[in-house]
Amino acid sequence: MIKKSLKPFRDIIALALGHLTVFKHVFKKPVTLEYPEKKLPLNDKFRGEHALVVDNEGNLLCTACGTCQRVCPSFGTIEIEKEKTEDGKFYPKNYTIDLSKCIFCGNCVQYCPFGAITMTKEYELADEKKSALKLDINTLKKNYSDSIIGERDTSKR
Amino acid sequence: MEYLYFLYIELLHKYNLPEFIGMTTFPLLPFCVVAVALILVVLFLVLMERKVLAFFTQRKGPNRVGPWGLFQTIADAIKLLCKENITPTGAEKFMFNLAPLLAFVPVMVIWGLIPFSSEFDFMSYSVSALLFMTIASIPILGILLAGYASNNKYSLIGSFRAVAQAISYELPLVFVLVSVVVLASSLNLRQIVLAQISVYPFCGWFIFPAFLGFLIFFICATAELNRCPFDLPEAESELVSGYNTEYSGMKFAFFFLAEYAMMFIMCAFMATLFLGGFLSPFGFYLSEKFINNTFWAQISVYFEQVFWLFLKTFFLIFCMMLVRATLPRLKSNQLMGFAWKVLLPLSFLNLFFICCYKYFIYAK
Amino acid sequence: MTTKNKLKINIGPQHPSTHGVLRLVLELEGEIIKSCEPVIGYLHRGMEKMAESHTYLQYLPIVDRIDYLSGFFNSFAYCNAVENLTQIEVSKRSQYIRVLTMEMNRLSSHLLWLGTFLLDMGATSPLFYTFRDREVILSLFEELTGQRLMYNYYTFGGLRHDVSSDWLDKITDFVKIMPKKIQDYENIITNNPIFTTRTKNIGIMSKNSALQYSITGPNLRATGINVDSRKTIHPFACSPIQLIYPELDFQIPTAQNGDSFDRYKVRVEEMKACLKLISQCVDWLKSNSGEVISPIKQPLLKVPEGEFISNVEAPRGVCSCYVKSDGSTKPYRVKWRTGSFYAVQILPKLLENAFYPDLMAIFGSLDVILPEVDR
Repeated sequence: MIKKSLKPFRDIIALALGHLTVFKHVFKKPVTLEYPEKKLPLNDKFRGEHALVVDNEGNLLCTACGTCQRVCPSFGTIEIEKEKTEDGKFYPKNYTIDLSKCIFCGNCVQYCPFGAITMTKEYELADEKKSALKLDINTLKKNYSDSIIGERDTSKR
Repeated sequence: MEYLYFLYIELLHKYNLPEFIGMTTFPLLPFCVVAVALILVVLFLVLMERKVLAFFTQRKGPNRVGPWGLFQTIADAIKLLCKENITPTGAEKFMFNLAPLLAFVPVMVIWGLIPFSSEFDFMSYSVSALLFMTIASIPILGILLAGYASNNKYSLIGSFRAVAQAISYELPLVFVLVSVVVLASSLNLRQIVLAQISVYPFCGWFIFPAFLGFLIFFICATAELNRCPFDLPEAESELVSGYNTEYSGMKFAFFFLAEYAMMFIMCAFMATLFLGGFLSPFGFYLSEKFINNTFWAQISVYFEQVFWLFLKTFFLIFCMMLVRATLPRLKSNQLMGFAWKVLLPLSFLNLFFICCYKYFIYAK
Repeated sequence: MTTKNKLKINIGPQHPSTHGVLRLVLELEGEIIKSCEPVIGYLHRGMEKMAESHTYLQYLPIVDRIDYLSGFFNSFAYCNAVENLTQIEVSKRSQYIRVLTMEMNRLSSHLLWLGTFLLDMGATSPLFYTFRDREVILSLFEELTGQRLMYNYYTFGGLRHDVSSDWLDKITDFVKIMPKKIQDYENIITNNPIFTTRTKNIGIMSKNSALQYSITGPNLRATGINVDSRKTIHPFACSPIQLIYPELDFQIPTAQNGDSFDRYKVRVEEMKACLKLISQCVDWLKSNSGEVISPIKQPLLKVPEGEFISNVEAPRGVCSCYVKSDGSTKPYRVKWRTGSFYAVQILPKLLENAFYPDLMAIFGSLDVILPEVDR
């Protein structure tokens, strides 16, 4: 009986506590991130746009072995044109990654036996044309040199 | 008021216009002022709501259009104006178009009933408090029509809920109003404000004898405005958007404007009834102290009175926003039970208490 | 429309409160729900069939997408099944890291549930608070795995890479501030009379019906049945990870009535238990070192013939993965059992003769995630 008659007061206290808790947040710093101007810092493991690793002499590490194709969960994302040099080494004549099919799982990077492919921190990949999402070997090479410099010209793709 | 009229006639004489024009156009002027002021206030209010809710949730709120997002609402309004007016197939076309107007026009009218200062109120009748309550319940008809005419089940349920809610919350609201009328011995809103003058600053405000009444009034006003936690008619998690689901563009804007304008007016009404309306909380007016010239001091007192009323109103609106940020929505049967089982008996209790108070304190 | 007194309402598949693409066909009599028929399948992506055309490794990143709010649990269930089939030993450190990330994931998942549940109930600000805190967890995950939701962090026999000590320090900081935040949510909502009257004695799930519908997870524990595959080792699936949980000290919160409020309460308590588990894992990881990289390096994994079911206690109930191998590089069959699917099945029973506004209180408290239902 007493417990029941006290209930309105307990309710009022609970309501007041709730309002105070919400009101408390007025004095806290906003957590909004104004996105296009400010961006979250990304760490090195971030899985963004792909890049083909180029060594110091400007040669690709890729040997067109096709492991990346075999571990890729999304069929037909990676296409490699295999070619042989005169001294018997394989190299990719063309290497395309279709970003519209890619799910950015990072399997290709993880399982590449030569460490020939990496992922950059670039994540603003939207484009008006689907063809722009098909990265050919030159774009992938350029991505790598850009990611080493750390800056990328995002205005033109 | 007469003084203003003479000024206006004189102004017309300067441009060689007959007095006849002045006589006919003068009553229209307050309405123009009212309309423009109301829309400006609402534009600000929408921004304020978004900003305040953002501050409660550690966000920044709109800050893209203009400094501090000041023009955000204007941009939104322009967007709504540019949108296509869609009338769904199967809707009652006439009523569908009438409903937003029915919700919006009464709000414009009652705005004039609030006494903004001791001299200027646009409409002053001996029963203005009663008139206020009467006209304030018309917009619900617009909501009912909107729900009925939309040919949408969500809208229909939403509007039924709105009507049921409005009817049950009107009663305690009126009983609390009666207690204030008893305290002031007048139905005129300006007289109610003037009755709150006392020797000591802000001690005469009716919130002190009628604190319970004030709380009931606040809750009922929130329910009348269909604001959270009483926003069942447009509970978005159940009814998508309630009665205005099918509305878009300008017609939606009318509902939106009416809702926010009503919120401001309700809060101003509450400030008038309980927080001394346009009275200064210091017991004297600042402009009387600081401006030596008597004529200008008098003029600025009026503006100061408007300022105090707005300050109190915005304080109440802020409280409403805090409530909105915190509380979850009530359930429809819970809502009815709360109105009839809790608020109505409490408002009787309040009325009884106020009558006793009046009898023992004032009757001597 | 069967009788003229009933109003038939379609909730969804595009409705603000269905958390995805669920369609509920309701029959209302006034505001009372007479019947409810959930229509699922709008988000069917063929997750199980897909496995048959992918190799074991190719299927691994897709698994994260079954329940996008708790990807670690799905990939653990799958990894665990494959590990048991191939008899790969998983090192202790990687198991601890798996437990740590999974508990963090559970916390983030419950935070999202809390915010959206309260938003459904009409309280707006807790949504932003919970998302603010969830954001911290997601940033930590991004730092560890490279992405915020689709982690693809576990591999067969271990993990992709080790955690850094910086990262562990950040988790310690997070665990320190989090109890205060949970207290804030509780202040706002737990004793709130509007919330309690809306949820108490609403959507009561009896012990019997919960067992009949094979409800698992917090929904089951809210009815008073203390079953948690973290504590009780399931006879069919002796997963190696379950050797870790007995080493940790934690309580499994339960409630009595099985109504919406109890489901809320159990989840909130579970969040606190998660924090306890996380701090224990961090302490262990700080003081012990070991190898986490999987011994299996080759991309084409040949799994010996056999079948296995692995169970894991996901935030929405037991998530089990059945893998049948015919000895080739691709699974012969993969079957998923997820908690949300069963929660949707009991929904008509709970909604019977409930008020229409109770739909949100009941459906929200069940914590259904549609991609997990449809797969």
